[in-house]
Amino acid sequence: MQRLLLVSLLAFPLAGQEQLPLEFNRDIRPILSDRCFACHGPDAGNRKSSLRLDSEAEAKRAIVPGQPDKSPIIQRITSTNKVLRMPPQYAGHDRLPDRDIAILRQWVAAGAPWQNHWAFVPPKRSAVAANIDTFIDAKLAKEGLKPNIPASKHTLLRRVTLDLTGLPPTPDEVKAFLADSSPDAYAKVVDRLLASPAHAERQAVRWLDYARYSDTNGYQSDGVRDMSRWRDWVIDAFARNQPFDQFTIEQLAGDMLPKATLAQRIATGFHRNHRTSAEGGIVDEEFRVEYVADRVETTSNVWLGLTVGCTRCHDHKYDPIKQREFYQLFAFFNNIPDERGFVYNFGNEKPFIKAPTPPQEAEIARLAALRDAAAARWQAEAKAFDKALRKWKAPAVDWIPQDGLVVNQSLAKFTEPVDLGKDVARFNHRDPFTLSAWINPDQPKGAIVTRVDNHWEGTGYGLYLVDQKLRFHYTFRWSDLGVRVETKSPLKLKEWQHVAVTYDGGMYAKGIHLYVDGVEQPMNVIFDQNLWPVENKVPFRIGAGAGLGYQGGIDQVRVWSRALTPDEVSTLPLRENLATLAKRKQRSPAEQAKLNLAFKEQYLPPALAALRDARREAEEVYDKYLATVPTVMVMEEGPQKDAFILNRGAYDQRGAKVEPAVPSFLPALPTGVPANRLSLARWIVSRDNPLTARVQVNRLWQSFFGTGIVKTVDDFGSQGEWPSHMELLDWLAVEFMDSGWDLRHMEKLIVTSRAYQRASTISPDLLSKDPDNRLLARGPRLRLAAPFIRDQALAVSGLLVPKVGGPSVKPYQPEGLWQELAGGAGYKPDKGEGLYRRSLYTYWRRTIAPPSMINFDAATREVCSVRESRTNTPLQALNLMNDVAYLEASRKLAERVLREGGATDAERMNHAVLVVLGRNAKPGEVETLGKALRQFRARYETNPLSAKAYLSQGDSAVDPAFPTPELAAWSTIGSLLLNLDETITKD
Amino acid sequence: MTRRQFLASSTAGLAAFHHLEGKEAYHHTPKAKRVIYLFQSGGPSQLETFDYKPKLKDIYKSELPDSIRRGQRLTGMSGQQASFPVVPSKFGFSQHGKNGTWVSDLLPHTAKIIDDLTVVRSLHTEAINHDPAVTFLQTGSQIAGRPSIGSWVSYGLGSESKDLPGFIVLISPGAGGGGQPLYDRLWGAGFLPSRYQGVKFRSVGSPVLYLQDPEGFSREDRRAYLDTLAALNQKNLEDSGDPEISTRIAQYEMAFAMQASVPELTDLSKEPQSTFDLYGPDARKPGTFGYNCLMARRLAERGVRFIQLYHRDWDHHGGLPKGMPTRCRETDQPAAALVQDLKQRGMLDDTLVVWGGEFGRTVYCQGQLTDGDYGRDHHPRCFSMWMAGGGAKPGIVYGETDEYSYNVVKDPVHVHDFQATLLHLLGLDHTKLTYRFQGRYFRLTDVHGNVVKPLLA
Repeated sequence: MQRLLLVSLLAFPLAGQEQLPLEFNRDIRPILSDRCFACHGPDAGNRKSSLRLDSEAEAKRAIVPGQPDKSPIIQRITSTNKVLRMPPQYAGHDRLPDRDIAILRQWVAAGAPWQNHWAFVPPKRSAVAANIDTFIDAKLAKEGLKPNIPASKHTLLRRVTLDLTGLPPTPDEVKAFLADSSPDAYAKVVDRLLASPAHAERQAVRWLDYARYSDTNGYQSDGVRDMSRWRDWVIDAFARNQPFDQFTIEQLAGDMLPKATLAQRIATGFHRNHRTSAEGGIVDEEFRVEYVADRVETTSNVWLGLTVGCTRCHDHKYDPIKQREFYQLFAFFNNIPDERGFVYNFGNEKPFIKAPTPPQEAEIARLAALRDAAAARWQAEAKAFDKALRKWKAPAVDWIPQDGLVVNQSLAKFTEPVDLGKDVARFNHRDPFTLSAWINPDQPKGAIVTRVDNHWEGTGYGLYLVDQKLRFHYTFRWSDLGVRVETKSPLKLKEWQHVAVTYDGGMYAKGIHLYVDGVEQPMNVIFDQNLWPVENKVPFRIGAGAGLGYQGGIDQVRVWSRALTPDEVSTLPLRENLATLAKRKQRSPAEQAKLNLAFKEQYLPPALAALRDARREAEEVYDKYLATVPTVMVMEEGPQKDAFILNRGAYDQRGAKVEPAVPSFLPALPTGVPANRLSLARWIVSRDNPLTARVQVNRLWQSFFGTGIVKTVDDFGSQGEWPSHMELLDWLAVEFMDSGWDLRHMEKLIVTSRAYQRASTISPDLLSKDPDNRLLARGPRLRLAAPFIRDQALAVSGLLVPKVGGPSVKPYQPEGLWQELAGGAGYKPDKGEGLYRRSLYTYWRRTIAPPSMINFDAATREVCSVRESRTNTPLQALNLMNDVAYLEASRKLAERVLREGGATDAERMNHAVLVVLGRNAKPGEVETLGKALRQFRARYETNPLSAKAYLSQGDSAVDPAFPTPELAAWSTIGSLLLNLDETITKD
Repeated sequence: MTRRQFLASSTAGLAAFHHLEGKEAYHHTPKAKRVIYLFQSGGPSQLETFDYKPKLKDIYKSELPDSIRRGQRLTGMSGQQASFPVVPSKFGFSQHGKNGTWVSDLLPHTAKIIDDLTVVRSLHTEAINHDPAVTFLQTGSQIAGRPSIGSWVSYGLGSESKDLPGFIVLISPGAGGGGQPLYDRLWGAGFLPSRYQGVKFRSVGSPVLYLQDPEGFSREDRRAYLDTLAALNQKNLEDSGDPEISTRIAQYEMAFAMQASVPELTDLSKEPQSTFDLYGPDARKPGTFGYNCLMARRLAERGVRFIQLYHRDWDHHGGLPKGMPTRCRETDQPAAALVQDLKQRGMLDDTLVVWGGEFGRTVYCQGQLTDGDYGRDHHPRCFSMWMAGGGAKPGIVYGETDEYSYNVVKDPVHVHDFQATLLHLLGLDHTKLTYRFQGRYFRLTDVHGNVVKPLLA
């Protein structure tokens, strides 16, 4: 499109007419790239001949500078011979258009001057004293286009307020701005907006799309996660106007910074936002590779504006990126310790950290101090404890840990399985517990204690004897979800032994310990996969389960709802009572532990008992509070894992091993730095990097003008589109770096340019000459992005709850959307403020995204998205007319207007227009709206029941101050205003 | 830029659902004008439907030979199994139609129309789990982000309907309400403009989201409302000159038209009893496969280009002998009825009907094998599918698998081949239906796929 446009605008001459100077990168490279590079380009695997047209030296083999007719390249593209003609007919390619042939011919005639691809050469300012308008105006003058007059003050205020905050100006802000005739009135407004929390939220929306941020994992089972603390970090970074280079380094490698702060670690959640799979039966490595590849592609797209996805399978066909280089980038992101492809489906997957908010951090510190103080008071009495212990007259009774003891079952003699019922020891996968028993097995296989379906691969947990070894299973689904461990050594048959297992609730084998006669046993891990919630309804049984029985003796079956410590377990096999142990001169560590623990638990003098209890309570309070603190998934760097070229991108087709490195056509990493993620992050924002600053200012440009200076905001390679204003782009990129990567400075430069402030009216002449407004003779006029359409409706109706950050919220959504696709409990909208928060806080389920966002072209967050898209569909019309969110907002808007808008219909109408559109009503509008008002008023006065029904939308109360028919009629006016094209458009 | 792409990016077109007319969009003369794709989600077993393997009875419970398995990867679900015992279909097969085609006794209605069907027994895919496999079948890539087949077709051919979307999706759960989850991206537009995404017609509430006006707001109210809105927007258009505003006005009128056309579409009161006799009693119950099949015919009559049904819960890892008859009962009669109904209305010639899932199932038993019960794991190496009408060759069986129904031994049809063939029948060349995104021309079949000529009438 852009090329067509330029061609037509520049009236590119064919032979015989006046000739414009050709520029290789603008005019020639796009033709070669589009038509020739696939076979004569960088991809060695696909190259159909030795001739390359992507490098000057190679291409000149087919070019005789100054002599088109003697140049093979021209001969071949103009050949009428089917076999010789390029691009080849036999491969299904069309002949080059005459215009392209004419351009190439002219270029060769002019000596075939070559340029390196512009975006890979560092930007320079062509004119230091320039500003944005210098470049825009020069181009307009060249094209003979007359720029529009400046936009009116109210239009400008609404435009800049929506652009910088995603919210409309309030009537007071409109009035203040109109009343301020000082020369810097506009600059003051811009500063006010840039400093507002709403501005940080607006910028965050953009970044969340880039970062594929979501509240669920995506893929088929689409389980939950919580990355809200990362999202809030982003908002906070924009609120602080953190320099973009720091913003980048912290997100890509904050964990690797020296003495990384909590905030810097939270920032690395950026690269844990990708989708993850918990679909049963997937191949773990296949998906782990997918996650690492996603990090490579997202990093490349977000910061470098390069599409490297194709190089997963082969060398790039258009750009000088090699497949090897993809996997060299891959090696930077490949080193999360123990990263899994098959992830936890019910919360954050490791690695994750506790990510308290600042108030939570303070509370944690306070509770930790209390806990430590209580512990210190207890420790301080160690001597008193020893003294009391020595003085203690131990009673002649046995003792076992009482804390958490839920089963304590003695059996006179085991003859048949014992069923203790379904409510006993009903643990879930995150609950810690301990099982223990005395056993005297006759056979090498049997079930000791279980709560499991009665077949071998059944769901549930159980302690078994298998091949004479002690075994523990905790199974959701035998094939892929569970843990199974066994002792390395066999037990003895026909002898009493004490067995125990402790489980810490941590979902992995490393949290399981097996004991025989109180001694921890070396284990074989047979299967180790995170668990799902186990919901079996079978009873707790002794001597049965998993299709097994038991032969021999079992006695003293005990279960605790916590993982006992090794000390505690060591005491369990001791049969001697406390008095006997106390009398001994020599005691084993286990015997001493039994006395200590028993004394501490049951026989302390009151003063010490109070300290013990205080300490324990302080610990509990601390632990309980900590459990409420959100976590966030983060990056961690383990030892570098081997990385390989993967043939055709397949996880199991390993080729040569590669080391981390940056692509060779870009500047190298500085010498002496380790090739790791942190160095990569610093390299991305180094001055030498030709891409990062250009790519970022181009995206900012897109967010204000709808189209980037380079339209392909995600592709700065040779297939990307030629910049509409190359020198401007470079000037902005250098300015961005010179300003210390100051985003707010760049935003201010853009919105204070004359180009931005122009009226957006489109004359038929402008429409035909520059339909997409690439030359900016007029101000931007664009439909609002999805979140801001809803935010604006909430704002003008007074419903908006302007709270920043926190857990995601669930506003209205049509019933049943989740169930019909995925079953389950379905979507439950919030009550109260969760319905009225800004849309960036809306709970985002990746596989079933909120429909009112998707209808308005929101990115689905499946993968990184940097493009802005705007369609115009009937589904949008239905959404705005009939979604309860907009109907409720219409009613609240009506209430607001009736309350504060004056006494007459005309006054109120004017006020409504001011509230919604930030301007006074135009002649004709009040009449049109007034006519509708009278019509609906009459309708609802004759049908008050209809009016009542119409007003029943939404959870908020209807203000009883207004007659129902009147409010209903005004709600219709409210809805009309919220549905206007102008309302959902930045004008 | 292609003409198609130019049109796609143009805002001048009035109705978003109706951006192209005439033959210019076709690459060659189409056989099918529309598609009804009856997607069976979860992976129906070929062994209990169309791939008859009588010899398996003799080797019941024997171990699957390595010579057949050939080290092929298995899912994490059965990969742990100590043994892979062969299990034949518990259900009988009999021969039907002119060619004596073997069809499972679970599909008596389908068997009756076998002469209208093109049965393919040699489909194979690359993915082994649901998400990647369904995504692969629907978008040509295992990784999310590409446009679905329906979106490609909408983009390529536009819609013939003036008041309905060109790509409509209808969903039915299995009887238990369960089955593998589905996801919006299966009918998403990927990188194509979002107007080409499938519009899901729902069985609860109004079929199209936000279609229904609120209580206390009548059709006359809506008309008066829209007249006011149009007047205000028109005024704005005169002041600003932005053609996007006239598009907006048109879209509101289209919305108004849909508010009438959709209820008319779902109003079955004028359907004669014979319709329900044909489709079965489920056809009266919204949310069932039977109802959706009837709806598919009504959508086809109204010119909708691509109609996709999803029926869930074919994922029989265990309990297959119970699950399979239920799924078949839910789908057999309505699917056969749809083909017959289209035929008697003269619409089968230019409507392509497709029935099939994302992969097949293993010949070996997954989980516990007992005399009454067995399960089958996912199997990508072969699965069955049928097509009817729309230029597909009726009454043939294409492709062959080995005696274990494990590997294709004759006439393999890769997923990309199937996609190429489907587009071909619609008059589209799969190598030419492209969209440029991130510097590359993407297509449904990536860089693969061949039209399977023997499947063409």
